[in-house]
Amino acid sequence: MTLLSVRDLAVRFQTREGTVYAVNGVSFDLEPGETLGLVGESGCGKSVTNLAIMRLLPKPAGRVESGQVLLEGEDMLGLDESEMRQVRGRDIAMIFQDPMTSLNPVLTIDEQMVETIRAHRSVTQDEARNRAVDLLGRVGIPRAEARLHDYPHQFSGGMRQRVMIAMALSLEPKLLIADEPTTALDVTIQAQVLELLRQLTSEFGTSVILITHDLGVVAGMTQRINVMYAGYFVETGPTAEIFAHPTHPYTVGLLHSIPRLDAEDDPLIPIEGVPPDLRSEPIGCPFAPRCAWRLERCWDVNPELEPVDGSRGWTSTSAAAAEHRVACHNRPTAEEAAAGRPLRDGFTAAPPPQQRVAQLVSGAPEREEELVSFDEGERP
Amino acid sequence: MTAPSISIPGRVEARHSRGLWRDAGRRLLHHGPALVGLALISLFLLAAVLAPLIAPFGPIEGKLVDRLQPPTGGHLFGTDLQGRDEFSRILFGAQVSLQVGVVSVFMGLVMGGLIGATAGTFGGRVDAALMRVVDVLLAIPGILLAIAIVAWLGRGLPQIMLAVAMTNVPLFARLLRGSLLALREADFVVAARSLGASRLRLLMRHMLPNALTPVIVAATLALATAIIDVAGLGFLGLGPPDPRTAEWGTMLTDSTRFLRAAPYLIFFPGLAIVITAVGFNLFGDGLRESLDPRLKR
Repeated sequence: MTLLSVRDLAVRFQTREGTVYAVNGVSFDLEPGETLGLVGESGCGKSVTNLAIMRLLPKPAGRVESGQVLLEGEDMLGLDESEMRQVRGRDIAMIFQDPMTSLNPVLTIDEQMVETIRAHRSVTQDEARNRAVDLLGRVGIPRAEARLHDYPHQFSGGMRQRVMIAMALSLEPKLLIADEPTTALDVTIQAQVLELLRQLTSEFGTSVILITHDLGVVAGMTQRINVMYAGYFVETGPTAEIFAHPTHPYTVGLLHSIPRLDAEDDPLIPIEGVPPDLRSEPIGCPFAPRCAWRLERCWDVNPELEPVDGSRGWTSTSAAAAEHRVACHNRPTAEEAAAGRPLRDGFTAAPPPQQRVAQLVSGAPEREEELVSFDEGERP
Repeated sequence: MTAPSISIPGRVEARHSRGLWRDAGRRLLHHGPALVGLALISLFLLAAVLAPLIAPFGPIEGKLVDRLQPPTGGHLFGTDLQGRDEFSRILFGAQVSLQVGVVSVFMGLVMGGLIGATAGTFGGRVDAALMRVVDVLLAIPGILLAIAIVAWLGRGLPQIMLAVAMTNVPLFARLLRGSLLALREADFVVAARSLGASRLRLLMRHMLPNALTPVIVAATLALATAIIDVAGLGFLGLGPPDPRTAEWGTMLTDSTRFLRAAPYLIFFPGLAIVITAVGFNLFGDGLRESLDPRLKR
């Protein structure tokens, strides 16, 4: 049975400057024991999607506009607050980006862990404490019994993230949402923490949603990926399939903007421009302004997610490839994906239609200022 | 090889925690300046409690022939216009000043704290409504507000305490509300919510302990000002109903007329106020550091 099923989830924020279109109708399924990657730039709606699933959107600004979040068939958006409280921690737990600020500074690890366990299980103080010690040992905290009585500030960043993992897994949730769990950590620690996550979640049979902007992280950890841009899923599919055959210009761009040891001669190709301002209702494909493959149609019609198979130079019959879906009017071919730019003779990206030009210019005042200061020679 | 069994003597035991407040208490006892502050406060507390036993004279007992005498062996701090012993009056004055200071700040803390906690917890319209009321209180100068309350309710120590308390309400309400609002979206509060913590637990365990520190520090500072505020009210003729009552502020203001003839009359009550204020400040600072485990030395 599908563990989590998200259907057409749309999230809006009401701010003084207007409505922010944070998430615009995303759908995905998660099977028990599966690890799903959610990849995209900062501000593309990855975290908001998951806060909406947990019903932890900042109130009163954020709200779910439409959609369903089914946990084992039950719509969580219909639960009242006390029912939802039972779900949090017991069924779904979360790990946050910054371990330095996600533990309460005035409570010891003991108090925070025992409190969490006892909020959901009717066990004695000592039973809860034994469980906490056991978990801390399993996440690799040396001298767990003594360190249980330490305060968060007495742990290093990596150790704190281990504590967070122990706390999140203390109730053996069915789903763990890891929101950039390694972004704030040193590279050496990153690998350790990821390995720990992988090992423990497979041991407990926990499903994981791994949010990250780092394709290197999802490559080794996930079975499937959703690539997110400006609140939309632009490409979804099995991890290996997407890495082998990226089919959305944005995914192609992401893959070309990470350095690779085995391809020293390939220059990095950055994705030009900045993500769109989510404060205006999206028209056309959200990636169009930054896309080298864009057609005239891309400015007006936002493409739907559609299966990839058979439409490109390569043919694929495997079941994995059949799940590969992409939202693009003009998909890069395999050769173009490898090169990172369009290779067709005489192809140029379609210029924006006249009425969009004015909009785009007025929507990007910071860039203009930046250019001006460059001209005056104020910057090196 | 003995290397693997490295132990750091005393460290493990010293770190053993027995809860936030007990830990804070233990840290406080190792905080030098806080102990000095505590000693100064205790000095005046003892003076207040033991005044009837240790004071050489009664607070309102004086001979006119002895008036305005400089400090001597018989009258340690000299005598005032009515020949009353200044030292005895300062001892008895500690009773009134400390009582008024502590009670009024405590009342202000409770009232302001309740308003701030309600506003900070519920936010939205409740917050907006309560904060406008607080803004109105804040717009009236403290001493003016106190005068209005004493004028309205009549003279008397309880009225003075209430008046001084009211001047502190906006301070505490704003402070607590601000901290709580900031904490509502703090990472660790969201993390605790994501693990299913209840609303009450979030408030009592995660938000209040983190929000209280600035309030406690402000309260100790307010104690010093409260004693001075009472003095101000006394100067304006709104002090204790019995003008003979020994009270530092009133003593201070009474003596301004003899500044040249008897400067010691302004020196000693002033010194008493300063020492108490410094004591409470030192203690408050130590308390702040003790309550924050990150500042643990």
